[in-house]
Amino acid sequence: MNQHSGSRFIQTMAGIVLLLAGPVVASAAPPIKADSMGLSKSSVFSVPEPKAYDYPATQPGASKVLPRAYKDAPPQVPHSIDEFQPITAQMNMCAACHGQPALWGQKLEKGTPTPIPPSHYTDLRNAPGKVTQNLIGARYNCNQCHVPQTNAPALVKNTF
Amino acid sequence: MTVTRRDFLKQSVVVSTAAATVGLPVGELAEAVTQSVESGWRWDRGVCRFCGVGCGLQIATHKGKIVATKADADAQVNRGLNCVKGYFNGKIPYGHDRLTKPLLRMKNGRFDKRGDFVEVSWERAFDEMEKQFKRYHKELGPTGVGFFASGQHTVQEGYAAVKLFKAGFRTNNLDPNARHCMASAVAAFMQTFGIDEPAGNYDDIEHTDTMVLWGANMAEMHPVLWTRVTDRRLSSPNTRIVNLTTISNRSSDIADLEIIFKPSTDLAIMNYLAREIVKRDAVNWDFVNKHCAFATGPSDIGYGMRGADKYDYEAEKDTNGKELTMQLDAAEATGQGKQAGETVEQKNRASAGKHWLISFEDFKKGVEPYTLDFVAELAKGDADESLEDFKAKLKQLADLYIEKNRKVVSFWTMGFNQHQRGTWVNEQAYMVHLLLGKQAMPGNGAFSLTGQPSACGTAREVGTFSHRLPADMVVDNAEHRTHSEHIWNLPPKTLNPKIGSHFTKLLRDLEDGQLKWAWIQVCNPFQDTANANHWIHAAREKDNFIVVSDVYPGISTKVADLVLPSAIIFEKWGGYGNAERRTQLWREQIPPPGMARSDIWQIIEFSKRFKLKEVWGEQKIPGLKTEGFEDGKLPDLLSGSGYSPDATLYDVLFATETNRKFKWPDAIAKGHDNHTATLLGDHWFPEKALFEEYAQFGRGHAHDLADFDMYFRDDVRGLKWPVVNGKETHWRFNEAYDPYVKKGSGFDFYGPAGKSLPSGDLNGVTTQEKTNIAGKAKIFFRPYAAPAEQPDKNYDLWLSTGRVLEHWHSGTMTRRVRELHWAVPAAQIFMHPDDAKARGLKQNATAWIESRRGKIKATVETKGRNRPAKGMVFVPWFDEGVFINKLTLDATCPISKQTDFKKCAVKIYKA
Repeated sequence: MNQHSGSRFIQTMAGIVLLLAGPVVASAAPPIKADSMGLSKSSVFSVPEPKAYDYPATQPGASKVLPRAYKDAPPQVPHSIDEFQPITAQMNMCAACHGQPALWGQKLEKGTPTPIPPSHYTDLRNAPGKVTQNLIGARYNCNQCHVPQTNAPALVKNTF
Repeated sequence: MTVTRRDFLKQSVVVSTAAATVGLPVGELAEAVTQSVESGWRWDRGVCRFCGVGCGLQIATHKGKIVATKADADAQVNRGLNCVKGYFNGKIPYGHDRLTKPLLRMKNGRFDKRGDFVEVSWERAFDEMEKQFKRYHKELGPTGVGFFASGQHTVQEGYAAVKLFKAGFRTNNLDPNARHCMASAVAAFMQTFGIDEPAGNYDDIEHTDTMVLWGANMAEMHPVLWTRVTDRRLSSPNTRIVNLTTISNRSSDIADLEIIFKPSTDLAIMNYLAREIVKRDAVNWDFVNKHCAFATGPSDIGYGMRGADKYDYEAEKDTNGKELTMQLDAAEATGQGKQAGETVEQKNRASAGKHWLISFEDFKKGVEPYTLDFVAELAKGDADESLEDFKAKLKQLADLYIEKNRKVVSFWTMGFNQHQRGTWVNEQAYMVHLLLGKQAMPGNGAFSLTGQPSACGTAREVGTFSHRLPADMVVDNAEHRTHSEHIWNLPPKTLNPKIGSHFTKLLRDLEDGQLKWAWIQVCNPFQDTANANHWIHAAREKDNFIVVSDVYPGISTKVADLVLPSAIIFEKWGGYGNAERRTQLWREQIPPPGMARSDIWQIIEFSKRFKLKEVWGEQKIPGLKTEGFEDGKLPDLLSGSGYSPDATLYDVLFATETNRKFKWPDAIAKGHDNHTATLLGDHWFPEKALFEEYAQFGRGHAHDLADFDMYFRDDVRGLKWPVVNGKETHWRFNEAYDPYVKKGSGFDFYGPAGKSLPSGDLNGVTTQEKTNIAGKAKIFFRPYAAPAEQPDKNYDLWLSTGRVLEHWHSGTMTRRVRELHWAVPAAQIFMHPDDAKARGLKQNATAWIESRRGKIKATVETKGRNRPAKGMVFVPWFDEGVFINKLTLDATCPISKQTDFKKCAVKIYKA
């Protein structure tokens, strides 16, 4: 059922190997050690060595836009946000750069911040369908949806 | 790299949609691709898998896979918004290491506790499960078997589990992980209102002008509600937000007032507020006289620990000893009107929940010691803040609550619930709101938020707690048992009147050898329970058989004997109930992978293996002592039950004549599958039949649910119970909204539990004669109590634990989504830079963190989103590699039995 995205070459080779091996016989899978399961490949009684990971040091404007995970998924933050946190009721440094309705529909020069889209200027609770000139309060906490990405290796493959 | 067709299509859509979203011109080709792709997609609505907010989703599937999700714009809860976790619901089924086959520990072709996991068939898995069940059931009786349930169980799964264990196996050893999250809220609701769950709803946010957070970092834990709070704050300048917390956090960033207090001193701050309300003559006497009664209970109730125990580690003996006798410190003595240094024997450990009515004069006497000076000195949590500043903040807090025309909502979650006096501090929130008459009306109320998606809908409403039956009924009430036996068509005295073991006690029982067979569904008890070293050793080293149903391997699967592969939320029919009493149902969207099956199928299929004669004969129940029952025994039911002794539990409990009338297939499915119905056979629709059967408990009892089909109507996005005549109830206990309120009363706190009480004073009962306070809520006086374990010279820091925005609970789902994992890859020790420096630790340095109960390593974070004051550290618990619950203390609220994960003492040093 799962479609893994992988090399066609390998899939084809695998097919050939299977053919060469003759009729496919259901053979018992090898036993699985509990310590090899899960995200920490170690005994529950042991103390794994922790690792620290870094968020990107890249300054805004110097990084590439990251691919979206799927249709309409919130974009991840490709640059350092250390200097722009916290977002307070008085100050939102994300919006200070990205809140640029004038850029809607414009072709963006390299280094130009991606403008916060019209959807974020629409009050879906009280006035759906009406694009305003103000960032809606419900969209004010940018980091509830848009998160920077560290350099950590993925723990397991995801076939979404 | 070769890209599959599916990837290509997804990417194309991304390009076109990204363009459309930012208003860029879209190429005709891209547009055509979008439409052709989307035309094959099936959209249906669903519910977010994660927290208790209960956001609505729209889910797109194509060829049996989820291809996209979006926040449901028509859902009243979230109006087109999700948080970052919520946006990745669609990815959680697709981690590469999904469990797809049953795994049994074996050696030489036979089950062996010391063996490795071997893939087996469902038949083989159930054979072993049944064999081991019958072996231990024979040895220990119903008490020797147990079930770990969940606040993430669907309504129907929880109901099936309750019925199988309480009615079929006649054991009350069934308890949900919601015990760790909501039990204190439940106990306080029952004691205060006589009925569970909040009066208000999320619209309170838009109606109010003051929101006070008590131990609830909503910005991370209830992010979509936080969007509503923030919107209210920014769009209405008079709105004020206060964040009372032991750690400065993201909620503080939007708040107008941040109050950092020392662990457990929330009890004292609440009493300061009550004292101020009284002193300033701000009691709403009209409301209080008509609708409230004053009450209190004993304070020598212990801390929910085992007490001195043969299994104690040497280092934990001193803390555990306090369970039996506690020496009062100065503040506790003042707050309780006792002498400092006095040693108090904890005499009411087994009767912690008892309480009696008191006069207002006694209440006033109780809160009298809680002056601003006393409370400020005790509660100030940040050494770098001046006492005067802190006092000014407390005064400002009192001003906001008391201001006559100001509406106030108090929100809380784990800070209150995971508390050694969790029930008390919940009750104190009601105390403040009831005194002011600011309760149960739009924009006014004390509002207990929920952690898990169906802690309310399943754990509480269905009643998967060891003391509960559906619709707030309890096993130790004869009328409630009889009523349940009637609905379930069971012979009298089928149900066991002895309350079972709570979640933490089930694990203690495992160590004690009192519990030898356990089944775990939709939770991860060996990672999520405090003092975990004891329990993981008990699981692996004692004589027992542990079954874990899960979608991914985690710590609990690693210590299991049998692992059963479960279907994830989108692979089954189900329903959740959120924190505002909103019940939401959904359809199966995609098939489960491999041999994975829904949890409800597992429960019902397993029931086929038991004949009545195997479980309904006379049963020994150690310690059972109840009127109408022989001591230590449940009666034989086999003669005269009306059922054949050879009937199976499947026939008697699940595939009943009535339930079989709910046929599968059903038009409500609109082409969606139901693998559970298909696999069970018999052409019935278990999720619908069991929902309707369950709903009988609540209809007419102020817990009314609508018909199953109504929840699938196009114009419905869940309904807030009680649903009467097709109408949901927005605010309970308020005549303007709640059909159960007595006409002409204005307000009616009609919950039936605990309404007939003796009277007394602050020291105890003086008149046994009972007074009936039907229709009234109780205003409790509860004193300050010091935590059982506090930092000392050796363990010199407070440890608090909790979640982070990006991960859900033990991380088994969210850590398999790379975007969420990359956002927060590991749990760190959040600590004050000066505390780190004093220990020679820099940002990202590896440190040991050690308590009396265990030690682990983690890296240090001194500039993150959580900013503890000196003397306090915070470690999230989602990371199985940073197994923080090896350190936490398994002290619980003695009334609710909910563990306090927010305070124990640790030391930290360089690794």
